[in-house]
Amino acid sequence: MGQFIDARNVPSGTVLQADLAILGGGPAGISIALALAGSPLKVVLLESGGMTFDARTQALYVGSKVGDPYLTLEASRLRFLGGSSNHWGGWCRPLDKIDFEPRAWMPYSGWPFGKREIDRFFVKAHSLCEAGTLLYDKTEKFAGGMGRVLPLGHGGLITRWFQFSKTRDSNLPTHFGERYADELKRIGRLSVLLHANATRIGLDASRARVEEIDVATLSGRRFRLRSAATVIAMGAIETARLMLASNDVAPAGVGNANDLVGRFFADHPTPRDTATLVLFGGRPAPFYLGNQTVHGAIVRAGLFPSEAFRRANAATAASITIDDKTDLDDLGKAAVAAVVGAMGIDAADHAAFSLGAGMEVTPDPDRRITLDTDRDALSMPRAVLRMRISDSDFARLRQTLKELGRQLLQARIGMLKLNLRTRQDWLDAMDWGNHHMGTTRMHADPRQGVVDANLKVHGIANLYVAGSSVFPTYGAANPTVNLLSLALRLADHLKGVLR
Amino acid sequence: MNISRRDGIIATGAAAVLIGVGVSGHYLLRKRHAPSPYDDLLTLLEDRDADAQIGETVLAEAEDFDPKTIADNLRAHIGKRPLAAVLASDVAYGRVVEAGGWVLPQTLGLLCALAAKAET
Repeated sequence: MGQFIDARNVPSGTVLQADLAILGGGPAGISIALALAGSPLKVVLLESGGMTFDARTQALYVGSKVGDPYLTLEASRLRFLGGSSNHWGGWCRPLDKIDFEPRAWMPYSGWPFGKREIDRFFVKAHSLCEAGTLLYDKTEKFAGGMGRVLPLGHGGLITRWFQFSKTRDSNLPTHFGERYADELKRIGRLSVLLHANATRIGLDASRARVEEIDVATLSGRRFRLRSAATVIAMGAIETARLMLASNDVAPAGVGNANDLVGRFFADHPTPRDTATLVLFGGRPAPFYLGNQTVHGAIVRAGLFPSEAFRRANAATAASITIDDKTDLDDLGKAAVAAVVGAMGIDAADHAAFSLGAGMEVTPDPDRRITLDTDRDALSMPRAVLRMRISDSDFARLRQTLKELGRQLLQARIGMLKLNLRTRQDWLDAMDWGNHHMGTTRMHADPRQGVVDANLKVHGIANLYVAGSSVFPTYGAANPTVNLLSLALRLADHLKGVLR
Repeated sequence: MNISRRDGIIATGAAAVLIGVGVSGHYLLRKRHAPSPYDDLLTLLEDRDADAQIGETVLAEAEDFDPKTIADNLRAHIGKRPLAAVLASDVAYGRVVEAGGWVLPQTLGLLCALAAKAET
């Protein structure tokens, strides 16, 4: 039987041995451990927290931020088994094919492989999320009884579908720790160490191999873990923090010979009330306004720029949702009257709705994590986040929304008002997806990426990174199910190299 | 009761005036717009006052708006087509403008802007 061990009971000075160390018990780390269940590998998974929230452990996330407004660093993540799946919204959607491609208008774009490479693992990833029947963009075939998809006709935006994670017999998203604890315990060669914080990645003198991991508990125990290979799966901020702070052998930090670790941090801005949508026929089908159960899946429809539109218009990815009903001001009423009068449209039942959006940001090396001089309770330097969002990213989403306005008029079904114009408008409306990405970006060239196509850290033989920190570009899809596909692919790779 | 011929004429005349006022009241009470060089275009608008309000927001975002040139271009663009057909063509070919954030067919937005110009 596998075991859950309270690291606070491990005597200081102990040296643990394993074939594989997984640092982090969030969805990525847990999924890799589950995927290796049938292998002969002895795996140790370190989780900073326990089975439930603990304020003192959570405080290890505290860091500072400069630049554009952003969330406090400790707000986006939860530090106990299951990680941030303990408070996620359960939104799932695959990345698009174009998200993997180099695009002339998007600097630093291009993954080392195409979408097909992770599609092989998507079904399993979706299954781990318990997101029901695999429908996504086939949902329309099964949702007919609930109403019509908006007939936008030819143009840039199309209806596409989210699916939602759910625990069995509940509508709550899957909390990976609680949900998979029993399965982890059934894995004979797996040990899960709770309350165990990785505080140093110890390179050997060649700097080309990880020799050991230093582990500490908030109760003062310190011990080491030696393994043939190590996967860091701690989230985009903590992964970068650990790699940068492990600077005793390589002064710039582990895997940071090219000054890339911590750069390219990203999240999905989710500005509220980006636009006002008027539908001449009244309310849209219910699957636009909230989650609906269709053919064994919980789904919601959104409006997305098509891949063809993105290519033709240098558009970034976006997901646009129809949110609350809203009222029109005098100008809005006049605009509706003018349009329906001039175009000869019956809009007696028209209704207005606020639109939310999730937007992709352009990769930016100066949006980054660095180390503070301030230290946490384990003497680790705290993280500093420099946040920046470019005006061009706002302008691109605005252009996409404008195209939606055009399509609505063309289809004679509605019209649109763009609510955000100035940079301050956008910042005032800003919310975030809490999707930390990018700080250990993947690229075949070590000068452009921290990890290679196999998620191995360039220049280090036995160190890997799992999670959305490896995303070179970000798309607009919710990252969890996609990072799980990558993690499962990594597990498959490790089965081969650690045989 | 005897009504003199003079009183009868006065009563008939007064009744005629009242009927005339009643019939044409709508026109008498309607806001008068000063004649403008674009009236042939502005008659296409259903509610010129409200549309002028929209037009102000179009003008606020237009860098160079020469009403005479715009009007000439609109006359050529619209030709003898119904306005609804012109607007459908505009949006099909991506010709839209913003009015206080509202995405409008270009021709409608420009007509509204002319209505606003005609008020100034």
